[in-house]
Amino acid sequence: MSKLLVVDDELHVRKLYQEVLSRDGHEVTAVATGEEAYAALESHTFDLVVLDIELENDSGLNILKQLKAAHPDLPVILNSAYTVYKADFHSWVADAYVLKSSDFKPLKDKINELVHA
Amino acid sequence: MVDILSMPAIDDRMTVLRSHFDELPLGFFVTNYDGYIEYLNHEAARLVGFDAIDEALGQSLQHIETTINCGLMEAFDRILSGHTFRREELHCTNRQGHFAILNVYCCPHRRENGEIGGVFGIIQDVTESAKKKDALEEAIYELSIISQVSEVLSSTADLDDIVKIILTGATANEGLGFNRAFLFLVDEQETCLEGKIAIGPASPEEAGRIWSRLAGRQATLIELLNDYRERENENNYSLSSLIADWRIPLDGNTVFGDAINSGRGILLTAQDQYSPETAEILRRLNTDSLAVAPIISKGKKFGLIAADNCITRKRITSSVVDLLQTFAHQTAVAIERFRLYEAQVERARELENINRCLEESREQMIRVEKMSVIGELTSAIAHELRNPLTVIGGFVNLLLSSGQPDDNSEYLNIVLSETHRAETVLHQVLDFSKASRAKTRELSFNDLVAKTHELLVSRLRRDQSPPQLELAGDAPLVWGNPEQLRHALYQFMYLTVDELSGECTIGMHTMREARQVRLVIGFEGRDDARAKVVKALKQIFGNPTGTQKLSILVAGETIRYHGGNYGVEGSQDNLPRLYLELPHYNGGNNE
Repeated sequence: MSKLLVVDDELHVRKLYQEVLSRDGHEVTAVATGEEAYAALESHTFDLVVLDIELENDSGLNILKQLKAAHPDLPVILNSAYTVYKADFHSWVADAYVLKSSDFKPLKDKINELVHA
Repeated sequence: MVDILSMPAIDDRMTVLRSHFDELPLGFFVTNYDGYIEYLNHEAARLVGFDAIDEALGQSLQHIETTINCGLMEAFDRILSGHTFRREELHCTNRQGHFAILNVYCCPHRRENGEIGGVFGIIQDVTESAKKKDALEEAIYELSIISQVSEVLSSTADLDDIVKIILTGATANEGLGFNRAFLFLVDEQETCLEGKIAIGPASPEEAGRIWSRLAGRQATLIELLNDYRERENENNYSLSSLIADWRIPLDGNTVFGDAINSGRGILLTAQDQYSPETAEILRRLNTDSLAVAPIISKGKKFGLIAADNCITRKRITSSVVDLLQTFAHQTAVAIERFRLYEAQVERARELENINRCLEESREQMIRVEKMSVIGELTSAIAHELRNPLTVIGGFVNLLLSSGQPDDNSEYLNIVLSETHRAETVLHQVLDFSKASRAKTRELSFNDLVAKTHELLVSRLRRDQSPPQLELAGDAPLVWGNPEQLRHALYQFMYLTVDELSGECTIGMHTMREARQVRLVIGFEGRDDARAKVVKALKQIFGNPTGTQKLSILVAGETIRYHGGNYGVEGSQDNLPRLYLELPHYNGGNNE
């Protein structure tokens, strides 16, 4: 069982991810902001972070920069509705980039790949 | 004052006259009642042609008059009948054959009893002042002609009008009065003179008809110059045909070459010696005397005017040649002005074109910028839609995977299917919005097509054959957003290949046209291919599916926003083909 941290500003997305990924046997913590994410990482250990980019009051790319500075070995998957950030240099720090979709297979495959690497 | 009439003795009178009038600069003479010279001074003797005063004394006025013919006898007769006599500017030749222009004034002298005793006369030599007056009048006349020609020339900027005005001025009686005038212009290579136009009668008979008609008009030069079009139409001279297509090398040994190369007018007369080449020119013009004036301005050789009097045989004077040369200078200035005017007109036309192209480019850039704004807007909308779709589809997936199939499974599957469809549409919109973030710039159309084709080939399924691509060698640049255009081209390529791969052979090629560059997607196949191609194209462009519709809509608008167009074209003999075209880009100076 892996411990996953999901960062997304939309309540229903967080709920969906918790449901879907929990059914695959992961222990999922879902937060809405960067501050909540830093706090969770201070108090818990995680095997992987699923990080949205377009957050309500922050950019996932800024959070990614902070996370990687504090936890360089922690895998981070950027999960966005946009494809355009793939070309953004700052997104290259992430370990993977998966587009949001109702089809969770690509995301699940990437999580399994990274937590078992 | 000396009262010579009151002196009774003639000797006394003579003494007084000689002492007072011998050295007078005016000629002075006195006759008796019978017309015999009693006295004349040195100047009068000189003018009449005597070597000494004594030689003249006692000569009769009648005798002198038979020689110099200056009206002295008429003067004598008038004086005897009680009148005075005054004649000015009499042209005379004296006893020694010298020409002079004289003013003659005479009055009677009377005796004490009041009877006429003889004649007092004054003769004034005005030859020099008369010559100066003639020269002045001639200069005024020439200036008047030049002024009138200049005035009419200033009213036109048409080269044909200019040369007709000049030649009319050269041939009109009120102008230079030549019988005929010819215009030759230097060719573009500046190696030959080419016969252009001539004015004047082609024969003595034609001359008679024309000149008698013109004589009845009493037109001034300026009226004639202004009527040159009418003159030309009315007379319809055949003279121009005499020099039409005539080419005379400038480096040949001809009077024309000499005039052009020396830059000076030349008068050629029948007495002159000239080269065989010049003789050939005179023979062809059917004349033995010719005035030639080169048309040169600031060293630029435009041509020459040649003129003659072959009908009237009137002698051509050097002063008329000088005047013809002045005409030639006027012509050069007029031609120079015409060329400057033409250059200005051409420049104005170019500027208009540039302005129009700039305006078009500006509008096109505005359209492209609008597309970018639309792209950003659609991106925001798509993002907002994607999250709900992810949530809807995700929970439906969870519902479907959480238990046994039930009555709601069919509906859940429909919701899931439609969610996937909506996500596909969003994917396309996001692709477009991503493309909108790229900056507009100049692009190689061939590179654009080649890279899109490469992308297409990489994404084809294994059962789909990659289309052949042929690039035109001279495809120009286009202007636009590279990502948007690539996205649009890709949509057209992909939809076509997706529909028709396996049904026929698909080929793509680029081609340059006058103002556009094209990508043509053509089809080849067996007999039944036509129906399949027509059906597929109707499907794509007439009744597209939902996703096709959005693709065509976005791609088509992208092409149009870039100033281009797309469509299907074909004929009975060939399979229809799809084309997309974009305007050339010439660094902001589009043609």
